[in-house]
Amino acid sequence: MSLNRRSFLQVSSAAVGLVMAEAAFARIAYAEGAAGTLRVAIAKPAGNLDPQSHFAIWAIQDLMFEPLVKYGKGGQIEPCLATDWKIEDGGKTLHLTLRQGVTFQDGTVFDAASCKWNLERWMGKEQFSWMNCSKYFESLEVVDDYHITLRFKEPVLALMQELTYTRPPRFLSPKSVGADGKFGEPVGTGPWRQTSADDTQSVFERYDGYWGDKPSYERLEAKVIPDPRSRVAALRAGEIDLIGGFWIAPLTPEEGKQLEAAGFNVAIDPGNVSLVMAFNPDRADALKDQQVRKAISIGIDRAAISQALYHGYAKPAGNLFSSALPYAGKQNDAPVRDVAAASALLEKAGWTGSPVRSKDGKPLTLEMVVSPDAVPGSRVIAEVIQSEMKEIGVDLVVRSVDHASKHTDMLEKKYDLGFFLTYGAPYDPFGSVVALCLSTFKNDVEGKLVTDAANLDPLINAATAATGDQIEPTIQKVYDWLYDNDAIAPLVYVPSIWAHSKRVQGFTGPVTEYDMPYENIVLAE
Amino acid sequence: MNKLKPLFARLNKFPRVALVVIGLFVALGTFAPWLAPQDPSAQNLLQGSLGPSVAHWLGTDHLGRDTLSRLIIAANTSLVSVGSVLIIAMTIGILMGTIAGYHRGWVDDLLMRVVDVGLSIPSLITALAVIGIVGPGYWTMVLALALAWWPMSGRISRAVAVSIMSKPHIEALRVLGASPWRIYFGHLLPGTIGAVMVYATADAGTAALAVATLSFLGLGIQPPTPEWGQMLVDALPYLESDPRQVILPGLALTAAVIGFNTLGEAIALNRIPKPLTRRMLAMRRIEVAGWAKENSDA
Repeated sequence: MSLNRRSFLQVSSAAVGLVMAEAAFARIAYAEGAAGTLRVAIAKPAGNLDPQSHFAIWAIQDLMFEPLVKYGKGGQIEPCLATDWKIEDGGKTLHLTLRQGVTFQDGTVFDAASCKWNLERWMGKEQFSWMNCSKYFESLEVVDDYHITLRFKEPVLALMQELTYTRPPRFLSPKSVGADGKFGEPVGTGPWRQTSADDTQSVFERYDGYWGDKPSYERLEAKVIPDPRSRVAALRAGEIDLIGGFWIAPLTPEEGKQLEAAGFNVAIDPGNVSLVMAFNPDRADALKDQQVRKAISIGIDRAAISQALYHGYAKPAGNLFSSALPYAGKQNDAPVRDVAAASALLEKAGWTGSPVRSKDGKPLTLEMVVSPDAVPGSRVIAEVIQSEMKEIGVDLVVRSVDHASKHTDMLEKKYDLGFFLTYGAPYDPFGSVVALCLSTFKNDVEGKLVTDAANLDPLINAATAATGDQIEPTIQKVYDWLYDNDAIAPLVYVPSIWAHSKRVQGFTGPVTEYDMPYENIVLAE
Repeated sequence: MNKLKPLFARLNKFPRVALVVIGLFVALGTFAPWLAPQDPSAQNLLQGSLGPSVAHWLGTDHLGRDTLSRLIIAANTSLVSVGSVLIIAMTIGILMGTIAGYHRGWVDDLLMRVVDVGLSIPSLITALAVIGIVGPGYWTMVLALALAWWPMSGRISRAVAVSIMSKPHIEALRVLGASPWRIYFGHLLPGTIGAVMVYATADAGTAALAVATLSFLGLGIQPPTPEWGQMLVDALPYLESDPRQVILPGLALTAAVIGFNTLGEAIALNRIPKPLTRRMLAMRRIEVAGWAKENSDA
């Protein structure tokens, strides 16, 4: 058969047309399959969903398991499975009224008996002694079917906040566990019921027996996409509807900006997690001098970091906590970069010369340990700070390490300068203050941001022992001590960034980084 | 000028593009500190991700640093690290290989089993293990890559050494009573080095890629030292908004790797035995006359 130009063009255009038609049909079929389904990206498989273990993605547990009370905007405690609560006896007794008409997804009634069964799974256990309500737990008394009373040995600090946590305080159906009492199926009282889960995705369907406002769509798919660029590409291709969340599928400011330019909706929340730089005077003698710490702090251009690296989405920080958190204290202005003042402080402290200052023949060389896996973007921030420190005569050596080494190095305090992230709502302010700053509290995950057994510990202990009106002035003293001694250098408040397609309407960012923001979403088909 | 003629004649046999690229790479790498128009680490955050201009010929990166200066200094980083990796790896490899080739017997068996173990593990995995133990850093990376690289040159030098050892002139040397040191340093080592160097040229490209890979993974060169692999990974987030930042270091790395590979191949092809020239014949006569003298001294 001979092939002339005309027949070649006919055949090839037919082939191209066929391929395009097939792609279009596939898209239509795909869109039909997705009707009524919200598709969210998750960076890793959801994991073991046992509310009393520590391995799952928080936001996935949040879909199924509910707490007694919820953490609302600004730290407001809102009713959930408990409709009313009363704290008596100076914080040692808690009376709870449970919500009636709630059933677990397997039909089991939620009442005082199932509530007791759940609370006894973790309260008072050594494993959960990091929570005050578990550490001081004394007894639990069932008053009637919908009333229980909890008693504690000591007044419990931030008791209601602790009850909002995702794990361990959330409620699991007593019938879902094995004969040995071990976790079996993820069955909670929440609006979503898991239908399947594997390493590629977790699928949920709406639980129609849910007591509260039911979602307006029937299915939710959490698709596992580990690579950040693939997640962004999947959103663009219409394979997923929603990405974001620090612990779910983090989106960088740059990606947010690109998606915004490409016509996607990008929701930025000021965020309640702070990026803080720690000084380690135990390793670097120079940092024992407050003038040196202050010089380093004011030598950093927080505004430029926020502008250039966060595209203005992050707010420069002057405090350990942002005002989005309760008891965040008086808000100080973020330090403004002042090279002359920083240099003057170093001169005054006896560090002279150039290009690298020295004192008693020792150069002012400091080592900064960063891990981009543990604190996203920290390597670039370190490079910026390195260049800014050079201008004031401080030789900053950046050591970039992997996630695992970062944790061991931070625990063993093998750094002069390092980055820390605060825990954010609902754990803060007390979570970070105790875990990162109290020397007697054992923290073998992040290490310590700053400790001072003689001066800081008494202030923190006073703040955690305070009740009622006394909390605010006592915790302010902790913040004042940190500020007056330049003990830490808060850098920026890390923004919470979410992006979604036009299909998703009514999106509002989650109150904490541990929640899945499914609630107000309406899907446009 | 006439003296340079043979050199040009030889260079003419090599692919010119590869010669130009590698020449440029070596020149830039050697004279980088004098050639870079600006301080490669000087940042200007408010001038980040700018396109080419009079002040910055190839634009700036995301922190407002001059891309051209960073590319030039990165050539120096790559040249030094690749050179060090190959020198250390070749030294270990050639020593092991020639000792095995000279000695044979159980020494050969032992050393070659060590080489087998080394060859059976992919080089990047060996390097990652070393970095995992010692911790990331520039010289750690060089050492790690050298430790991962030497078995290949060990195997090649052993093969070359065995073939040299079985040549009649070595046998003649032995008969004439030359000392083992003389045979080893005077005949075996120079012959082996020449052959292994050819493979080294071809390996340089792979080594440059390995350095870039380790830096890409954040395990090699630490900031602010510019390096092509590191520049690539730093620029990746801006792939869409400013692809120039990714393309430029990518192109530099590609050119260096292809240049080395092409050159290595050309050198290997040029090593086909050449007919004896009058000059070479004269040289050999002088050498043989030397042996006779040594013999009469004995």
